Amino acid sequence: MILITSPKYDDGTEYLSYYSSLILKEINNNNIPVKNFEGKEANRGNVIKFLQKKNPKTLFINGHGDEKTLYGSHNLLLFSIEDISLLKNKLIYARACSAGAFLGEKIVENNNGCFIGYKYPFSFWIDQKHSATPSRDNTAKFYLEPSNEIMIFIINGRTAQQSHEKSKKMMIENMKKILKLEEKKEPGAMGMLQILWNNFDGQVLHGNPSARFEDN
Amino acid sequence: MNKEKEKEDGLKELVLARIEIMPPNFKLSIGNFGTFTKQEMINSVKNEDEAGKQIIQMQINFIKALTSGELINTINKNDSYN
Repeated sequence: MILITSPKYDDGTEYLSYYSSLILKEINNNNIPVKNFEGKEANRGNVIKFLQKKNPKTLFINGHGDEKTLYGSHNLLLFSIEDISLLKNKLIYARACSAGAFLGEKIVENNNGCFIGYKYPFSFWIDQKHSATPSRDNTAKFYLEPSNEIMIFIINGRTAQQSHEKSKKMMIENMKKILKLEEKKEPGAMGMLQILWNNFDGQVLHGNPSARFEDN
Repeated sequence: MNKEKEKEDGLKELVLARIEIMPPNFKLSIGNFGTFTKQEMINSVKNEDEAGKQIIQMQINFIKALTSGELINTINKNDSYN
């Protein structure tokens, strides 16, 4: 079983939520049991209760974060350093800022789990012409499709390391595309590249690189 | 003006120049810090608030990757990720 949290309350989480919905489709296409806590449902009470009851082994966390915390709906606490015991021995991908700098390392300490996340803020450019319809925003795609690739690979049975590397490879391909825009003198190409580099450099894997999705 | 201050001001000018050339319809989502229009980014950098400091830090990371050759090496070695 896979647990997803997908809060939706500002521009950033609207985009994460849309891209998370694509992963949900992929999960459903593969007939994998899933629990998706979306919007206001992505709160600490619901998620902790579900973890205690069902013990899903794979978690896909979307939202905001910092070095010691992951947040749910409306930037309210989802997980902190106090919750480490609940998160051990799991495969976790946190599409959130900075939790890879500390919290992620602590979660996998002395256990067989794996945490993929970011040691810097996860950032992306939005084209305001399409901000009401993230699917049509080709600028945001440069940043969010490589992050989705992690979950697509995990769902399809690849290891955490393979999934992490596939995502990085896609980021590099996107950097090449952005450099072509720079060659064509597209305004802002270097600014776009800078943000993608930040995500590339910040994406980290802690713990067991051989961890895989377990259909529990 | 001491050298450190000169360096900081130069970096800030570079960051501002890079923001200025972004298309007017672009906004930047920086996680917890929020989503910023060009003008909001410029204000944050000028005021050196938390978001502004983060924007400057991202620029420093990028310049380091450019000048050290890490960025170009990474792009050229992409085949090793297959």
